[in-house]
Formats: sequence, C-alpha cells, structure tokens
Amino acid sequence: MVGSAATTEGPYGSPQVRPLRPYVMADDPPPPPLPAAPEPAPEPEPPAPAPEEVSTRSSLAVRPFLLTTGRVAGAAELPLETQVVATSDGLAALPALTFEQHAIVAACRVPLSLAELAARLRLHLNVVRVIAGDLRTARHLAVYVPQASTAQDVSVLRRVIDGLRAVPDSRGLPRDSDRPA
Amino acid sequence: MVSAPSPTPEDFHVTATALPEPEHLTAVANRPPLPVKMVIAGGFGVGKTTTVAAISEIEPLTTEASITEVAAGVDDLTHTPHKTTTTVAMDFGCITLDPTLKLYLFGTPGQDRFGFMWDDLVEGALGGLVIVDTRRLDDCFAAVDYFENKGLPFAVGVNVFDGSLGHDLDEVRWALDIGENVPLVLFDARERGSVRDALLVVLELALARAER
Ligand SMILES: Nc1nc2c(ncn2[C@@H]2O[C@H](COP(=O)(O)OP(=O)(O)OP(=O)(O)O)[C@@H](O)[C@H]2O)c(=O)[nH]1
Ligand SMILES: [Mg+2]
Repeated sequence: MVGSAATTEGPYGSPQVRPLRPYVMADDPPPPPLPAAPEPAPEPEPPAPAPEEVSTRSSLAVRPFLLTTGRVAGAAELPLETQVVATSDGLAALPALTFEQHAIVAACRVPLSLAELAARLRLHLNVVRVIAGDLRTARHLAVYVPQASTAQDVSVLRRVIDGLRAVPDSRGLPRDSDRPA
Repeated sequence: MVSAPSPTPEDFHVTATALPEPEHLTAVANRPPLPVKMVIAGGFGVGKTTTVAAISEIEPLTTEASITEVAAGVDDLTHTPHKTTTTVAMDFGCITLDPTLKLYLFGTPGQDRFGFMWDDLVEGALGGLVIVDTRRLDDCFAAVDYFENKGLPFAVGVNVFDGSLGHDLDEVRWALDIGENVPLVLFDARERGSVRDALLVVLELALARAER
C-alpha cells in the first residue's frame, strides 16, 4: 500500500528509495480507465471518414477517438507546445478536408501550439495530435517539433530569463526596476 | 553554445535554422517562435489557474489531456502498480517573450492522489513551480515527489492567500521535507510581478544546472 510504495519499486518505475512524505489517501475510487486503445497504426491511412460520421460531430465529445478511427497518439510524440502552421497546399485543400481537418488547417494560418489548437477547437489533445500527424503526412501542415534538449540549452534559458525580466508587473515595472535601491 | 535553435519541421532533416523551406511547405505565416514551457503544479485550489492567468497574455485556455495514474495499491501477485489513463482538464497560457520565443505555462490538473504521471506535460519543460497553500501543505507532496523524481528544476511557491503566512518559511521547508537546494518563495498568485519573479527563481535554478 502507500507506505510500502516508497521502499518497493516506486510509482514512476524507478526503484529509488525516497523520503516518505505522509501521502494523503484519496477516498474516492480511481476513475475508470479509458477503453483500451490500439497501438497507433504504423502507416497513417488517408483519412476518409464517411460523411455521416462527420455529421455526427456534435456527439463526438463522448467518443473523441472516432475521429481518429481509434488511433491514439503515443505519449512520447509531438509535445504540447509543438508549433503547427498551415501550408499553402493545406489552405488550397481546405474544401476537400473533413470538418476537423478543415478546422485545424484553417486555424493554423498563424502558428499555433497543439495545446492551443485543442483548446480552441475543443478537441482532446490526443485527437489533435493524431489528426495533425495525418495532415503533416499529407503536407497540409508544417509541424515544428521542439527538441527536449532545448530545456538544458544555456542560451535558451538566458533568453527566457531576459525576456521574462522585461515583463512588466501590474504597475508597469520590469523585474529589475522594482528592487529596492 | 550556438544560438537557440528554432524548431524545424520534421519533414525535412535540416539542421541549420536558416534554410529556406521547400515551396510546398511555404509558410503562410512567419516561422513559428521557439516554444518553451514551464509547469505549474500543486493541489486542488491552490491558485494554479490564477497564477497562469496573472501572467499569460491570453485568457487561460483549457484542454482535455490524458495523464497516467498509478493506483495507490499494487497488484498483490505481481507487485506492479496499476496504471490507468485519466482524461483531465489542463489549463495553460503563454507569453510571447520576443517574436522568436514563446513561453507556455501549463497548469497541471489539481491532483492529490498518490501516483500520477504528467510525463506528457513535463517532457522538455524548463522547470516547474509547485504552488503551496500553507493551510493544506500536504496537497503538494505528490507534485514535489514527482518533480524530484523527474529531476526537473523546480521551486516551491507559497501562495500567500490572505497576505499573511501562518507559518515560518523554515517550518514550511521542514514540513515539506525539501532540501536546501529547492528554492522556497512567497508569492501572490494574483500579482503578475510576483508570479514573474517566482518563475524567474525556477529559471535561474535551471540555468545554474545547465551551466554545470
Ligand atoms: N485571496 C486570494 N485568493 C486566491 C489567491 N490565489 C487564488 N485565489 C482564489 O482561490 C481560488 C482557487 O484558485 P485557482 O487559481 O482556481 O486554483 P487552482 O489551483 O487552479 O484550482 P484547481 O484547478 O481547481 O485545482 C480562486 O477562487 C482564486 O480566486 C490569492 O493569492 N489570494
Ligand atoms: Mg485550475
């Protein structure tokens, strides 16, 4: 149980022994798992949902993975902040796209992150991942995948720090001007 | 180091950042900014969304995402933790730091269960801020454990709800069982400057680590 979790294999798959914080036990049962999803298809099929499938989109919030014909995005692929931009091919193809593809390409006239896209279109993030992957394959979207190593890049970190320091507080003052003299 | 790389479309395996893009992928917009992200974590109602909203240039957006949850119990026979995938609402905002650099702030879903994995959110993050309400300190243990375990640079931000702190910061540090290397700051989740400064503490820590 909880106490032993710190001495046996940790919950994150790491056998590391951790200092014991007194965990709060949740009283409620764990939520039901999502239906088991198949591995992503190795080759993306040309997306061609039947017209009646598209017209039932108002109910898709319940079963979002209908949109992706059951495929799910692997957790490791396409980070949330991945930037996507429509290509001119994508914009030209707009009339031929399915409802969700159309919505994604049209929204990406300006660069957007996958997270912003999902939020704006009210689609599950993983649904957006899968459809964006299809659109990339079809060359309707340019997908700019960030590298995880950016997080340890000294020059990037310095730029972020400098940029954030310049963000004014609610009195309009940047970071360095509100230090006591 | 080289100057910050802009992300490159995976479709072509270019390494230089200045290569023109092939015509079929000609941008209908400018090259996107380099996206970077930080994670805002903590228990229920500690001020995560308030923090994001205070500094984001857009109203915080919410999206449905999946997290992996490890049930508190383990399977009796295999001693393997149960894992389930849970769909949660995650909110986030962003700050355009300059035309080539955009900082995303992702608020983890309120979570006080024993085991959960935000791997999806945290992968590639610059660092994390764990928000604490001193009236319910234990709500943040899961987040502290998670970030420690992931090796993500993080700071603990005590959200001073009523302008007064019921405890000494040293007491808080002791109660949280965090090392001296974890910065502990007081901040006000409603104040942009205060949120900015708390994030800067995390970033300075991340920079110090990256420079080692
Ligand atoms: N007085 C005061 N109220 C605050 C402060 N920070 C947050 N609140 C309020 O506390 C409540 C919860 O804040 P949220 O930002 O929604 O907290 P959260 O962590 O996003 O909550 P969940 O997403 O539900 O886990 C809201 O009503 C906020 O207005 C603060 O510093 N002072
Ligand atoms: Mg919230």
